[in-house]
Amino acid sequence: MTVGARFQQSPVGARLADLEITRAWLVDPASGREGPGEIVVTDGILEAVTWLEGPEAEGVDASGVIVAPGFLDLHAHFREPGNEDAESVATGLAAAAHGGFSAVCLMPNTTPALDEPSVLARIRDAAAASGSPVTLFAHGAVSADRAGAQLAALGELADAGVVGFSDDGSPVHSATLFRSALAYAGMLGLPVIDHAEDPTMTEGAEANEGLIATVLGLRGWPGAAEAGAVARDLAILADVVRDVPGARLHLTHLSTAASLELVRRAKAAGLPVTCDVTPHHLGLTDEWIAGARRWSWEALGDDGAARDPWRDGAITAPPFDPSLRVNPPLRSATDAAACLAALADGTADAIATDHAPHTEVDKAVEFGLAANGISGIETALGVVLAAVDAGRLTLATAIAALTTGPGRVLGDRPSGGTHGRSRGLTEGEPADLVVFDRSATWTVDAAALASKGKNSPLLGRDLPGRVLLTVADGRIAYEAPEG
Amino acid sequence: MSPATDPALAAPEDVADLSVPGSLAGGNPAPAGRWTHRHLLDVDVLSAEDLDLVMQTSATMTEILARPIPKVPALRGWGVTILFYEASTRTRVSFEVAAKNLSADVVNIAAASSSVAKGESLIDTVRTVEALGARMLVIRHSTSGAPYLAAEHFAGSVLNGGDGWHAHPTQALLDLYTMRTHLPGGTVVGRKIAILGDILHSRVARSNIWALTAAGADVWVCGPATLLRGFEAWAASGVAGSRRFTVTSDVGAALRDADVVMALRIQRERMAGGLLPSLREYAARFGLTRERLALAKPEVLVMHPGPMNEGVEIAPDVAAGSHSLITDQVANGVAVRMAVLYLLAGAREGTARRAGE
Repeated sequence: MTVGARFQQSPVGARLADLEITRAWLVDPASGREGPGEIVVTDGILEAVTWLEGPEAEGVDASGVIVAPGFLDLHAHFREPGNEDAESVATGLAAAAHGGFSAVCLMPNTTPALDEPSVLARIRDAAAASGSPVTLFAHGAVSADRAGAQLAALGELADAGVVGFSDDGSPVHSATLFRSALAYAGMLGLPVIDHAEDPTMTEGAEANEGLIATVLGLRGWPGAAEAGAVARDLAILADVVRDVPGARLHLTHLSTAASLELVRRAKAAGLPVTCDVTPHHLGLTDEWIAGARRWSWEALGDDGAARDPWRDGAITAPPFDPSLRVNPPLRSATDAAACLAALADGTADAIATDHAPHTEVDKAVEFGLAANGISGIETALGVVLAAVDAGRLTLATAIAALTTGPGRVLGDRPSGGTHGRSRGLTEGEPADLVVFDRSATWTVDAAALASKGKNSPLLGRDLPGRVLLTVADGRIAYEAPEG
Repeated sequence: MSPATDPALAAPEDVADLSVPGSLAGGNPAPAGRWTHRHLLDVDVLSAEDLDLVMQTSATMTEILARPIPKVPALRGWGVTILFYEASTRTRVSFEVAAKNLSADVVNIAAASSSVAKGESLIDTVRTVEALGARMLVIRHSTSGAPYLAAEHFAGSVLNGGDGWHAHPTQALLDLYTMRTHLPGGTVVGRKIAILGDILHSRVARSNIWALTAAGADVWVCGPATLLRGFEAWAASGVAGSRRFTVTSDVGAALRDADVVMALRIQRERMAGGLLPSLREYAARFGLTRERLALAKPEVLVMHPGPMNEGVEIAPDVAAGSHSLITDQVANGVAVRMAVLYLLAGAREGTARRAGE
């Protein structure tokens, strides 16, 4: 029996009246359990979760249909208001659901910036109008107009329900303002999410400083620009928590071995810091810009250093594909391996997509003039599963990094709406889950992406883990076409 | 096999007319191989055989250039558009003269990179140029990789006339040609070639590293540590197999017993970027002076891709001295660019013919 055949083709947003999935592989990071099982959803409520044992469990393994809690993305850009040509809240939510995400946190770098509550109200209206049941959270700006000069309306934004503060797209460059933001947000019980980058080292930068950028003549983007900013952030955090015990720092899209090592040590020292890595930084490397198209782990030498794509004869595509331009830049295979290792040992709490859709006008240009960003919310699962298939990550760790991990980063807030939910397969709660088939691949092409942003370096590639069904808040968010 | 009978090289009618008014062969060796590249975007894809073919064809062109009327009808009727997004005199004029010597119809477009932001995109410009009849596009751009974008959207052949810090293929080919015509034995194999100056920002350095290592030379790159960033890793990687070169900030080591020394331009902006204390200090520590040149072999060849800052990276008496090949480089630039245009045209015609079979 195929799972897909069980579904009625229902409109997005319709309550999931009745669903029974038998003999699937359940992954429940909230309880730390995975194995053969069955689920029953009635009238939008996850009514029964049954773990199969003994003879009943025979023949069910983790290579087929998987049922997991719906994914939570800490970091996405839906471009509304201000750049609806690139993405809208409606298309972004559809893309999220197609990627298996039942909840997303939007970054505030819209036009105007989400630095006061009316912008949030507008985004929520757009979400409601879309009919999508995917839960929409938002981060408010740290500074007014994201200009880095003075604090945004942090208290009002917190009252309106933002789940964190970030000037993402830019770092909070002023150490003084950053210190104030950590303290003030800490008082409000919310994390500051920093895009760690020393802009004095990255002016005009195009590609990770290293062999690839040197050979291609691209302006180098030093890893030290990130690690240096992380070190500063951590030093300030250590200061602030002495006064404000609630202060919390989340470092997003960390991309280098050095910055992850700094977080590892800070966590060991007890600092309230969390971090995420992106699918593209763990799966792709800077050699893609030279025209290589192999996964990061295939580009890693036995000595832990990146292999040489020219010597390996691994160049299979034209160089300088602007869809690979992203901030932070794609790093070396060593750095990508560090991202995977950080997930495995808990240094990295979450996988966040940094979904950054762009129009062709902004992206189909010279590499150095292209907008930064990858449209990635729909390909995240596939990239992560490729790492799982290659033995670089366990399935349980991968799913936790997409569910309970980001849930912990957001924490529990009294006024936080639904995000305090367990992100587990918990009986009696509204169903919030994803069903995907690990054995089924799908081809990433422009038509297959629900996002308006077709700026994916994975176009044309087959990815594992076709999403069959995404359910958010007991309602259907995405359902795969038959067959 | 001469180009006239090699189906990959010889185009119908007009291209084959290279052999008139004089004999193409004219005592020159015939091209030893077949040109298969549709575009010339970088030198990294050129094999030693490709390089030989360009060198031999360039020698033919040099001979044509020595004629009273240095013009052949090889590209008669071909539209060649020269699209430069960056200021240049030498390279632009060299391409123009080369194309006109082959009887092509040449259109020059000087575009400002800044117009990209609000005006026509590169892709639109390339499509327009094609619609206006261009079959070859020579492009220079301040952004590394821009010619690859152009090539993706252009039905004809694209020649990279210099992109960002990335590549300047015809400069490397004319440098190689100039060295081969002046080195005893006509080869760079085993010769020590020192490239001195701002390596980091130099597309000439990068293209010469690829071309000269492929041709078998012992390449040294030398400059202040701030202008060599990343090159030690490149040298150590042995990119593309056995293509080794040496990176050093020790001018003495780089110049000692060198057969060729090439100085590169130092730009004033490098001080604003915090990469150099002053041009005076650069000249004192790294400038190619007569005293330093004495470390090299007695018959050393001195080169510079231009434009020069005399008194900074190269002393005036060295630039104008008896070892200098700087004006030869300019003259050879025309021959090499004629050769490349001719080979690309042949490859295009050959492809079209094979496709039509």
